[in-house]
Amino acid sequence: MHVIVATDGSRQSLRAARHLKSFADPKKITDVSVIAVTRPLAAVAFADELSPKDRRKADLEAGGFKKAAESAAAVIAAEFEGWGPKVHQRLRSGSPANEIIKAAQQLGAGLVVVASGGRGLSDTVLVGSTAQRVQHYAPCPVLVVRPNPRPRRKKS
Amino acid sequence: MAETSTTAEDDQDTGGLRRSITGRQLFFYTLGDVLGSGIYVLIGLVAAAVGGAFWIAFGVGVTVAAITGTAYAELVTKYPQAAGAALYVSKAFGNKVLTFLITVSFLSASFAAAGALADGFSSYFATLWAGPPALLVTLLFILVLTIINFIGITESVVINMVMAFIEIAGLIIVMIIGIWYIAQGNAEFATLTEFETGDGTSPAVAILAGVALSFFAMTGFENTANVAEETIDPHRSFPRSLIGGMVVAGVIYVLVSMAAALTVSTDKLAGSEAALLEVVQTGILPISTPFMTTLFSVIAMIAITNTTLVAVVTQPRILYGMANEDVVPGMFSKIHATRRSPWVGLLFSAVVVAALLVVGTLVPKVEGATLIERLSLVTVLFLLFIYALVIVSCLKLRGRDESEKTYRANTPLLLVGLVGNLAIFGWSVYDDPTSLIWCAGLLAVGVVLFLVEYLFGKRSRPPGQERGEATPETRGVS
Repeated sequence: MHVIVATDGSRQSLRAARHLKSFADPKKITDVSVIAVTRPLAAVAFADELSPKDRRKADLEAGGFKKAAESAAAVIAAEFEGWGPKVHQRLRSGSPANEIIKAAQQLGAGLVVVASGGRGLSDTVLVGSTAQRVQHYAPCPVLVVRPNPRPRRKKS
Repeated sequence: MAETSTTAEDDQDTGGLRRSITGRQLFFYTLGDVLGSGIYVLIGLVAAAVGGAFWIAFGVGVTVAAITGTAYAELVTKYPQAAGAALYVSKAFGNKVLTFLITVSFLSASFAAAGALADGFSSYFATLWAGPPALLVTLLFILVLTIINFIGITESVVINMVMAFIEIAGLIIVMIIGIWYIAQGNAEFATLTEFETGDGTSPAVAILAGVALSFFAMTGFENTANVAEETIDPHRSFPRSLIGGMVVAGVIYVLVSMAAALTVSTDKLAGSEAALLEVVQTGILPISTPFMTTLFSVIAMIAITNTTLVAVVTQPRILYGMANEDVVPGMFSKIHATRRSPWVGLLFSAVVVAALLVVGTLVPKVEGATLIERLSLVTVLFLLFIYALVIVSCLKLRGRDESEKTYRANTPLLLVGLVGNLAIFGWSVYDDPTSLIWCAGLLAVGVVLFLVEYLFGKRSRPPGQERGEATPETRGVS
């Protein structure tokens, strides 16, 4: 089975990758493709929050957002090193949800792993979240890794 | 079995980026970006400065800008990383202060441009609904665009193309009116060679004054460098799409100015805030004038919105880059968890533009220049400075990092462009020294941000950490 792990450079996407590793059987997975999507027309095309900060700085200077995306994908890919399946890194540009779905179709993926970023109000109110769209239109099962619930503060 | 293949040596579809923007899309991106800004907003001001022959001002402005475009095209094919002017100047001069100055200038230009465009938007809005005060409309406009950018729905290239088509449609309406008018035999072609030389100024000076303003209409093309990296076959398609888009925009500008000059008297154009609307309101076309007026206002507002959106996207992007280099406070690199938007940068930019609009609305009544004229001149000053330096950088970087695929701009043309940029810059400063105060004010914003980072930036770091080094909190993965 070919598994796609999507990253937007967020720490949550790294948690999603680790979550997959925590329960999946590496013998049943042939390939893991780490996909990072840059958004050329967005204010920040790709925000890498995974690499060390000095690395990020060098990336932005040397190669712009593409380099940032490469570095983030490399961090996720490193998670799967030595786990068993072949690891690939793929960079795409465009709308994240579209590109993830397209990649899933092209690679004949058996599972797509995405992170769902927020846990606040904005996540429920604002439509169009990437995870939501991938869930709806992906050609295969989707694992959406939600953030840990915020510990409730007791009001007195 | 364990094998981690890295980008370079992996199979076919890894390696670089899967590029998503075709040459044609880039062409329309350029066209839409350029067309939206100027002509809808300040054709009246240019007409007032030059007289009936103001199409010449547009022609000259377009030419100088297009030459600058060739320098950009050369540099983009050499350094396709999406960084623009700051990267080129940094490569050419390696001077940190100069690079900082260019970056802040670009940021300031973008602030001023957003302000001018917002004001232009409010002029057209007032023709539909004159109720709310202009300042309120401009502030709401900026607010809405900021929210749109926060949500991030501007990422579709298709939407960009649709917007570009709508912008062109509006200008074609104006041209059709002009042709119709000529066909009716009413046109007085002498208008096209009239100059506003009332107080003893020569035609050359009148044109120069107009060019400075019309230059605003060409701005925006430098933003295409942002998407260079995503363009398919950039070495071939980028120069063609960029320069092609600018030339087409230039031809459209000249034709639209001619049509406007023929159909509406210069005085009327000069006195109007939504000057192109005057052309439509002449009722030359045998279509209901109120309907056409509404339609045209809507088109103009869409056009202006499109260009402002690009400006509003650019500001937080620059701040993000600067924050990563530790020249402005680190909070500008904060990314919203769900929307992946640099929300601090977006918010800050909106506040700066709003402040410009508020100050601009209160102050010019003393100074005698309108808000839009002031802000567009400020934008133009910053951009002329940047463009001139980009041309110099282009010449200075000749012979470095070249491959046979590199596009090569024509050197004599570049020199002409450099002189042109400097001439317009010199004239604008001479003609309107007050603009320099505004420029200084905007630059001060950048300097203050730098000082805040310089003085207080290290306090948030634990002892022993270098500037720019990640702390466990910023890196930490739970």
